[in-house]
Amino acid sequence: MLPRSMYKEIELVVGPENVSDDISIKYAYRSPYVTVVLPGSTEEVQAVVKICNKYKVPFKAQSTGWSFYPPEYDFVLLDLRRMDRIIEIDEKNMYAVCEPGVIAAELQAELFKRGLTCNIKGAGSNCTALALSGHGHMGITTSTGDRNDLATEWVTDEGEIIRLGSLSSSGEWFCGDGPGPSLRAIIRSGGVITKQATKVYHWPGPTYYDLKGSSPQYILLEKPANFMVRYFSFPSIEKMLEAELKIGESEIAFELMGFCPSMVSSNITTSNEEDFTTLQELLKEVQGPGFMVIIAGNYPEDFEYKKKVLEQIIKETSGKSLKIVEDPKVETTLLIQCTRISASIRETFRAGGAFASMMVQGQRYDLHVRWLEEAAEMKRELIRKGLVIADEGYQFGWAEENAHLGHTEIFCRYNPYDEASLKAVQEWVRKVAERALEGCFALPRPGILPVEMVGPRMSNYHLWFEKIKEAFDPNYIGGLTGFSYVGVDSASDHTSLYKRKGPAP
Amino acid sequence: MAIEDYEGDMKMCCRCSACKYIPLQMIRHSKFSDVCPSIARYNFHAYSGGGKLLIGREMLAKGFEYTDRFLHIVFNCLLCGACDVSCKYAMDMEVLLPISELRMKCVENGNTHPTFEKVINLLRSKGKMVEGEGKRSEWAEGLNIKDVRREKVEVYYHAGCLSSYNKEYHHIPRTVAKMLKEAGVNFGIAYEGEICCGGRAHEMGYREDFFNQAMKNVEIVKRSGARVIVTSCAHCYHAFKVLYDRYGFKEFEVLHITELLEKLIKEGRIKIRNSLALNVTYHDPCYLGRLGEAWIHFKGKKLPGIKFVFDPPKTYRRGAHGVYNPPREVLRMIPGLKIYEMERKKEYAWCCGAGGGVSESNPDFALWTAERRLEEAMETGATVIVTACPWCEQMLKKAVASRGVDLQVWDVVEVVERTI
Amino acid sequence: MLQGLNEFSGSIITDPSVLKEYSSDFSFIPPVLPALVVRPKNREEIVETVRWAARTKTPLVPLSSGPPRFRGDTIPSRGGSVVVDLSGMKKIVKVTRKNRVALIEPGVTFGELIDALKKEGLRPNMPFLPRSTKSVVASLLEREPVLMPKYHWDISDPLACVEIVFGNGEVFRTGEAAGPGDLEEQWAAGNFQKAPYGPGPMHWHRLIQGAQGTMGIVTWASLRCELLPNLEEPFFVPSRELSKLLELSHWLVRMRLVNECFIVNATILATCASRRWPDDYETLIFDLPPFVLFFNLAAYEYFPEERIDSYLKGVREILKNIGLEAKKALCGISAMDFLKMIQRPSPDPYWKLRMKGACHDIFFITITQKVEKQVFVMYEVLRSFNYPSTELGIYIQPIVQGVNLHCEFNLFYDPNNKKEVEKMKSLSWEAVKVLLEKGAFFSRPYDHTARIIMNRDAAHVAALRKIKAIFDPEGIMNPGKLCF
Repeated sequence: MLPRSMYKEIELVVGPENVSDDISIKYAYRSPYVTVVLPGSTEEVQAVVKICNKYKVPFKAQSTGWSFYPPEYDFVLLDLRRMDRIIEIDEKNMYAVCEPGVIAAELQAELFKRGLTCNIKGAGSNCTALALSGHGHMGITTSTGDRNDLATEWVTDEGEIIRLGSLSSSGEWFCGDGPGPSLRAIIRSGGVITKQATKVYHWPGPTYYDLKGSSPQYILLEKPANFMVRYFSFPSIEKMLEAELKIGESEIAFELMGFCPSMVSSNITTSNEEDFTTLQELLKEVQGPGFMVIIAGNYPEDFEYKKKVLEQIIKETSGKSLKIVEDPKVETTLLIQCTRISASIRETFRAGGAFASMMVQGQRYDLHVRWLEEAAEMKRELIRKGLVIADEGYQFGWAEENAHLGHTEIFCRYNPYDEASLKAVQEWVRKVAERALEGCFALPRPGILPVEMVGPRMSNYHLWFEKIKEAFDPNYIGGLTGFSYVGVDSASDHTSLYKRKGPAP
Repeated sequence: MAIEDYEGDMKMCCRCSACKYIPLQMIRHSKFSDVCPSIARYNFHAYSGGGKLLIGREMLAKGFEYTDRFLHIVFNCLLCGACDVSCKYAMDMEVLLPISELRMKCVENGNTHPTFEKVINLLRSKGKMVEGEGKRSEWAEGLNIKDVRREKVEVYYHAGCLSSYNKEYHHIPRTVAKMLKEAGVNFGIAYEGEICCGGRAHEMGYREDFFNQAMKNVEIVKRSGARVIVTSCAHCYHAFKVLYDRYGFKEFEVLHITELLEKLIKEGRIKIRNSLALNVTYHDPCYLGRLGEAWIHFKGKKLPGIKFVFDPPKTYRRGAHGVYNPPREVLRMIPGLKIYEMERKKEYAWCCGAGGGVSESNPDFALWTAERRLEEAMETGATVIVTACPWCEQMLKKAVASRGVDLQVWDVVEVVERTI
Repeated sequence: MLQGLNEFSGSIITDPSVLKEYSSDFSFIPPVLPALVVRPKNREEIVETVRWAARTKTPLVPLSSGPPRFRGDTIPSRGGSVVVDLSGMKKIVKVTRKNRVALIEPGVTFGELIDALKKEGLRPNMPFLPRSTKSVVASLLEREPVLMPKYHWDISDPLACVEIVFGNGEVFRTGEAAGPGDLEEQWAAGNFQKAPYGPGPMHWHRLIQGAQGTMGIVTWASLRCELLPNLEEPFFVPSRELSKLLELSHWLVRMRLVNECFIVNATILATCASRRWPDDYETLIFDLPPFVLFFNLAAYEYFPEERIDSYLKGVREILKNIGLEAKKALCGISAMDFLKMIQRPSPDPYWKLRMKGACHDIFFITITQKVEKQVFVMYEVLRSFNYPSTELGIYIQPIVQGVNLHCEFNLFYDPNNKKEVEKMKSLSWEAVKVLLEKGAFFSRPYDHTARIIMNRDAAHVAALRKIKAIFDPEGIMNPGKLCF
């Protein structure tokens, strides 16, 4: 419970209708310790953060708040939903400026009208449009995560407003770096991003999808010109990666999304029962791991060339096209859902209510793939024991930036209310994380292993991070922004790499 | 039925926020992406469909606490079902049903909204849910309609409380009656014997009162000999078609007047004689559209194990089979009339603000909701908003008056009347 | 001073004639003689140097490019400074074709790197005609703009990871290089230090880029490489109207049709392309159109001719819509020859020194809507200083896949003429002020105008100083630069 005087001060800033610590609010925000504040502007965010500093009460900010690991002490949650403006779209210079409450679907809808699109996080276009939302299916074309940041307006954990790049110099949004070193380095370490410019990209598709039908099966009667969607399976993961790299290097794909067959079947079906039946059919046809490719031509000759190259690469790597995806109805379903990113929930939560994921971004070939092949083997063991929902047991991933980088992931779907299932999944996650360190594969996602175990293996970044936090958050009250993780619930220190000094307030 | 029956569904909520927006691939304009008026207005996640599920599951586990805020959340829900449709695009789970049960739980435990008590008392004493002096059947004067209390008919026409007691809406049942007569339909009304269908009582959380109305209405219709109920009110339609079936009172076919009109016009029994050069937009009433989908009696069970699958496979009502096309067909059959659709339509239409008893309990919020819809209608360039429910018509007219804009609001039957 | 330092085996220079070479450059920073110059050969020697400097509070000025230098960032600001010259660290540690990445020491130049990468079928995304002594690592750390906007996904590209000795003597690796494991262990696992982000929620490389050596000393850097094309077809597009070329550039880059793509004015093209100086220059400057956009279509392994053909279709459509024409040669300059030239460092003498012996660069980041006005006001400033407008070089480079433009003005002058030097100093000061008012964003501030640029936003400066205090608590790393 916040001190009453603090609550009153917050009320004066945002209005009584925009702050609450009622029990029903706490339940909806999944924490008995939370007081939720709905600021409507940067100035309100700043004022509330300063109040938190005054009273030394921790705070966290959220945009849509999907995954959230609340701390176990009283804190203020800044729900940024009211800050939902698209401030500017500059078509000539290919950027858009948004507040955190704008979701990616909204931004993309506006961009489509201008022949543009944006990166959308793999979890879905129901997430924030801010670049910080992360890595998504279209990454081979639309880059990823923080690499799409431009100028940013940022309220620090102390309540200072820092404007990055050209915003500090001339009030413009086109560049987020400088003068001198770039503070884009630290904006995910804490504070609150209140406005941000993000890179956007050329979109050769329609200004909107003219969908017919009704939920949950919307269809495009006519596929847009110069578009093709295919799913290819390969006899081995090595062949698949070879094809993926070639496609990346030849720059022919608009999207390369390394779905497992189970994700394809989840994506195109409208119920769990249909999903599991369809999966069995797909598994009969696929020869091994695979990916979905979207080819988008800027004009017919461009399209024809790209298709020709694709055909050649698939031939060279013994790929096989999945027949069901050649059906125009399924093809266009995947096109819509994998550009608007609107069906990830089907792939993850629908089957059992939860999923636990291990994911990593960076050098996919062959570093992360090798690591998660081990994870896949462990997952298949869990499937055999009936502890996680059965699928083909593959990892998946996708190429980013012409396959220079990539996203690699594996998840287990399970029922979080089944004790055995939950325990098995938590154990799996821990083992996979340990292998990441042991095998020198990657930094496992935070919170699974103690930071004192991970940090020293990673140039002691945790110690440097602690110093940055101390400098920008001297009262130790800021939460961690940046990439959030769905899946296995974790201890409260998941929210921050930085461990609080001393007892909780 | 109780909230406990939906514990599994409430636990399935993964907090994705899809319930706040229209199905994501349907978003064409950032201005018209919201689908839930409650969270659009109040912004706390608690006001969304998913928020209420989270509250429900926590309170089920830890005990119910009827704070002012909690009741504000519960009673400022239009029960429009938009969250249910959006969630079910991806998930296999119930959303609206547990939300409705949450309200009933509140009412059953003596925690209702003061305005609802007034309305329900009126229902109990006078069989109506709308204030208004005068006779229920005053609208029928001079029309010489068969009295089902005295003679048998094939079709029972139910005008509904709002159309009966608010003179502003008498034109709807009057026009319906004239058309049915012209078409030679063998129909009748119960005159002063007509009573409230009970639908809005159910929305407000008064299940027992709804049952009382249902039982009485079934008797009235049975005695009339009719096999078909026709209504021009979406709430009544939903009550008769869905709720009565759900609770085991189904004995009749139920048609909305637009469904019957479509048939009658196509059969030539109603002749459209004049053209009507109008640009219109059509507002889908929630209780006719996504909530008008027939009830599905599911008798299977969840299979043991960690997957959420049922035997037999469970079919969910996802809003796909509501009454969307008949009103549009009727309008399309009018020469010169052009329909310009709003961005949020059919199963993901934005509510008018009347649902869930909110037009009584929080008229400001109801008006706010209607004004948002009006903005959307104005974007189409249409000069008339057409709808198929007097409650929608009432709310949209209030919005028009409040904004002082030059836009008409008509029922479908009014449009047709101008052509025959 | 040398106590504690001379235990390591790196070379230490105290010869005054050599020290003098490090005391000044072509910038307007007042000359300051360093106390000595050290030339470490490896990381251990760098660590020793930094730790010694932190103990003794001796300012260090790192550099890795050979002369001539231009920006003033490698001139000591304080007496008693030690220059740490890394230009002798020339190892190309690893080149990995599959992951398209190379890991190099600071002294490697573009010419050396290009030749090493070529063996693996790779190439760097290069800046425009760097001098032959320019360090690749220095260029990466300076966030220099590169010629192929298509492959410039982020302003930090093509830099991947770095290993740095911070000002407190601790070693840190950024991005995927941070760990787990040391470099050998990482290579054994298949990690070639490619991803720049992290570790953790921070993107440390961004604090090291643009820092002008004020955070620490980089011991190596990895960089993203691109494929060597199988086929290339370059073109010039001349125009009197800059706006049309900007429109063209936007679409070529947006649709990812082109590799190299940039705009230069006649002065730059004539200066670079002249084989016989000054005769060729005088002919070219007379004949060339005011502005030229240069672009290159490239194809790789699969059906290269068809790729070029399909790209040409798209390009022709865009040209037609804008009312421009592409040419394979311009005033006797072959586009292919020009392409080959810009795919390597500048031949000596450095092209910027050809005209008058010195060049002062004013560069900033801007956007399409502003750049023409900025060019206009620059001409106005020149007029007010009687600087001949025909001698102004203009280079406009789309960067970050077309999100913004690097705009660069090259002002040539005679360094031996004191009056010209003074005039240039005042002119550049005035120009920066005027351009700032017209929305130019000086993301990389150098020289005598750095302070007015840095001081525009106090909150930004305060944040940078906090960071500086963490990485360099004793303030020994290149003090006096930026806002430090």
